Amino acid sequence: MKHRSRSLFAATAALALFLTACGGDDDASDDASDNSSGDSSDGSAPSTGTASGSNVADTVSDEAVTLDYFTFSAAPDHLEDLDAIVAAFEAEHPNISIEVQTAAYADYFTSLQTQVAGGTAPDTFELNYENFVTYARSGALLDLGPYLGADGIDTARYYPLAIEGFTDGGVQYGLPATFSDVVLIYNKTLFDAAGMDYPTSDWTWDDETAAAEALTDADAGVYGSFQPVSFFEFYKALAQAGGTFFDSDGKAVFNSAEGIAAAEWLTTKPGTVMPSMAEIGGTPDFDTNLFQSGKLAMWHNGIWQFSGLNESGVDYDVVVEPGDVAKANAVFMNGAVASSDTDHPAEAAAWIAFLTGSPTTVETRLASSWELPAVNDSAAFDSYLAITPPENREAVFEALDNIALPPVIERQTEMQDIVGQALERIVLDGADPQEVLDQAAADVDALSG
Amino acid sequence: MADLTLEHVDAGRTAVDRPAAETRFRRAVTSQQARRRLRRLARYAVMLVCAVVMIGPFAWMVLASLKTDADVRSVPPTLFPDPVTGGNYTRVLDAFDFWRFTFNSIGIAIASTVLQLVTATMAAYAFARIEFRGRNLMFGLYLATMMIPLQVVIVPLFIEMRNLGLVDSYAGLLLPTIVSSFGTFLLRQAFMALPRELDEAAFIDGANHFQVFGKVLLPLVGPALATFAVFAFMATWNSFLWPLVITQASDQHVTLPVGLSRLNGRFSTDWNVVMAGSVMSVVPIVAFYLFTQRWVIRSVAFTGLKG
Amino acid sequence: MVGVSGWRKLGVIAVFLGPSLVALLAFSIGPMVGTVWVSFQEWNLIRDARFVGVDNYRELWGDDDFRRALKNTLYYLVGYLPLVTAGGLGLALLVNHKMRGIAFFRAVYFLPVVTSWVVVALLWKWLLNPSDGLVNWLLGLVGIEGPGWWTSRAWAMPSVILASAWKDLGFVMIILLAGLQSIDETLYEAARIDGANAWCQLRSITLPMLTPSLFFVMVISLINGFQVFDQVWVMTDGGPAGSSSVVVEQIVKNTFSYGRAGYASAQSVALFLIILIVTAVQLRFQKRWVFYG
Repeated sequence: MKHRSRSLFAATAALALFLTACGGDDDASDDASDNSSGDSSDGSAPSTGTASGSNVADTVSDEAVTLDYFTFSAAPDHLEDLDAIVAAFEAEHPNISIEVQTAAYADYFTSLQTQVAGGTAPDTFELNYENFVTYARSGALLDLGPYLGADGIDTARYYPLAIEGFTDGGVQYGLPATFSDVVLIYNKTLFDAAGMDYPTSDWTWDDETAAAEALTDADAGVYGSFQPVSFFEFYKALAQAGGTFFDSDGKAVFNSAEGIAAAEWLTTKPGTVMPSMAEIGGTPDFDTNLFQSGKLAMWHNGIWQFSGLNESGVDYDVVVEPGDVAKANAVFMNGAVASSDTDHPAEAAAWIAFLTGSPTTVETRLASSWELPAVNDSAAFDSYLAITPPENREAVFEALDNIALPPVIERQTEMQDIVGQALERIVLDGADPQEVLDQAAADVDALSG
Repeated sequence: MADLTLEHVDAGRTAVDRPAAETRFRRAVTSQQARRRLRRLARYAVMLVCAVVMIGPFAWMVLASLKTDADVRSVPPTLFPDPVTGGNYTRVLDAFDFWRFTFNSIGIAIASTVLQLVTATMAAYAFARIEFRGRNLMFGLYLATMMIPLQVVIVPLFIEMRNLGLVDSYAGLLLPTIVSSFGTFLLRQAFMALPRELDEAAFIDGANHFQVFGKVLLPLVGPALATFAVFAFMATWNSFLWPLVITQASDQHVTLPVGLSRLNGRFSTDWNVVMAGSVMSVVPIVAFYLFTQRWVIRSVAFTGLKG
Repeated sequence: MVGVSGWRKLGVIAVFLGPSLVALLAFSIGPMVGTVWVSFQEWNLIRDARFVGVDNYRELWGDDDFRRALKNTLYYLVGYLPLVTAGGLGLALLVNHKMRGIAFFRAVYFLPVVTSWVVVALLWKWLLNPSDGLVNWLLGLVGIEGPGWWTSRAWAMPSVILASAWKDLGFVMIILLAGLQSIDETLYEAARIDGANAWCQLRSITLPMLTPSLFFVMVISLINGFQVFDQVWVMTDGGPAGSSSVVVEQIVKNTFSYGRAGYASAQSVALFLIILIVTAVQLRFQKRWVFYG
């Protein structure tokens, strides 16, 4: 279809400059050959001539190749760690050099989308799980199928759930690079001072509420439990309450009784056991600062907070989050993908395989407390588990037993905003949860429909 | 204050031993002087109050940039750093190729400012002083280019640059900034505020448009030129979105604001380091502003206009 | 028929306008035409664009979010324009004097203009924090219970207006200052000889001579004000619950977050037309009050 829209305007010379690349292909000069292949690149996997039917080792040629890798997770703290991984890869593949490009997460997708739109997508780049589907379904990603197998990329190297997460329609479009999960972080000093028992993995919502109420001392500015009111907390709480976001037909059903329970669980916290929205007042990293200052007893947050907490010196430990009728834990995954436009698909596949699964990567990431590699190799994590605090670091892996992956659709961000704003209305206006969620479910259905 | 009371005393004493008429005259003069001094003091007082209100963010930024990690995260927030640390500035310098990015920023900002001054003054002169059919329409076209948000034009512009082969190049970074409708408009207003008699006299003396432009009118719009130079420099220096997308392919042409943006983490940000970076990026603009202000004061003295 | 002098005049115009016109056509107007083209497409920037005719415009007509954003943008303008113009004029008059240290004061008033919105937003959020911010503390001293500022629907937009006006005062100041500096000193001397006091001089010399600069400030502030974005993005992200959502914020969200570049382009075209009409009206009515030498 790109060619139809293009030919409409091909005659308009003045426009040519702006339009030739709107189709997203790499070189305006080979339009003719593109036309003959028609729309095959839409949705389905593009078959790359060099790669079909062979494995990575065979197709990685000896010619000098430069690959771009665009990432949001390296800056600002792990650029040197990434350089180390790159150096190790280049030592193994002397003909390939990797050019790293970084951007802050907040700017990353603006830049990436512009580059993709301009037909200058980086050869390889990073995507988080939630955004992966949009790119996969838009035909922007390289089908890694030809490079998988005994001689190529070993999928058994990765957590089954993670490697599966980067497939769409049965096609492997990416490799899982890292994961982080969310646990309950608690301040031991505050629990000790109140003479209360530490949270355990058997805790339910009711246990947390009771403890949070007992520990909250608003006058002293001390709060019992902090949990963001957000889409990511909601889908997880929904799973904890025993509900699902979509039914098997893909219809939004989060306005169920379980959905109401989840919404109420989240929206009754602000202003009671955690600061009100007015007190938070949009201050960035409010919760981080509160916990590090020793004024927060329990904190629903991710394992990426560990290194900051260790620097702050606050006495803390972690435990898997309390459930309601079920246990469910949120996980954030980042994957590495290759562009469907790359001129060097085999080399790109070899690089992202190294970036995600090589022993060098695993060691580098663990040694520098970067995010955790998504490899299925529990022995590799021994060194990570040995670091204290937190004492109960096993909770990071215990949480993986009950993973609730976020619901994903092509119009992901819109869906997240709809749910987020619905929850905001409950907190802000005291709107009826049922009404608000009914409306949100209808809006979400309109997106995916 | 002391000066003021002394003069009053002085005025009182003279009143006793001088003829009445002279006394009245002297008193009028001295009280006028006193009033002027009072007014001057009041003006300083108002300026000081305003200064405190306006300097707030900058002072706060500088203070935060001198805090330690724990200090900047303390709840409730504190105003003064304790202890004071310069470590955040070294962290900014180490975080990326600071000098290269700064060099890029300065180079682009200067080149762009010069080009904008040239294109804008010339266009402004045409719009202010040459009568031609469709002039208003043409001026409207210039203004119209300010009316579409950059964020949406950026994708077509990027595609254009790709087709010109200018992605990740200084030319690609510079070209879209070389003309400013804002500057054209600002300088057109400045030219139009000048009396017509000036150029009419020059034309009678046989001057052409180029001479009137260069020799007669241009020297008289110094303040506007300096003002626009500051804005042009500032806009290019601070611009973020375009450098972000056009320089992404490598670190070679990255500008300072794009580099500084990489100090922001996904889940949390070290605000003390970000503040240090902000301070460092504000300094050149303020220096440039002070430089142009001195120039304005001098040039205004030169042309005999008020400064 | 164009005579010799006509050709020469055309040549002169071409020399004066040529450089800027070529650059504008290539790097502003060209991409704008591209935007118009995109507005007839469905395009997530990743997949190939698909022609959808006027569907985007039809959707725009019934889009409540866009309507609300437009209303908020107008609200912003109504609050922001008078504040920033009057305040900037006041500052310009204040510093338009030969005094010791005047350059320092001018530079200080200019500081907020050059400070990034990220920093300014952080500071103002801290100042306007409803529970322990400085502003509400001061209000408390005089017995007023401060509002919820960012965190309340009713006060989110006024907060944005306040911070924006404060930040842009220096911008207006230095434009008007340039205007003030260009006023012929002999006019004031003549007025003083005629015995005009300061107030009279302001009314009959300064303000009329300043109208070209004032007109400029108003046109530019309006064009920029319609495109208010940065401050909203970093301060409220359009919240709470959309109460400070503005047009360009919708456009950016649709382009880069929602994968709806075509629809966002249609919104941009609509915004463009609105600004164009308002500016045309301003230009038309300038003759009534702007005085050129």
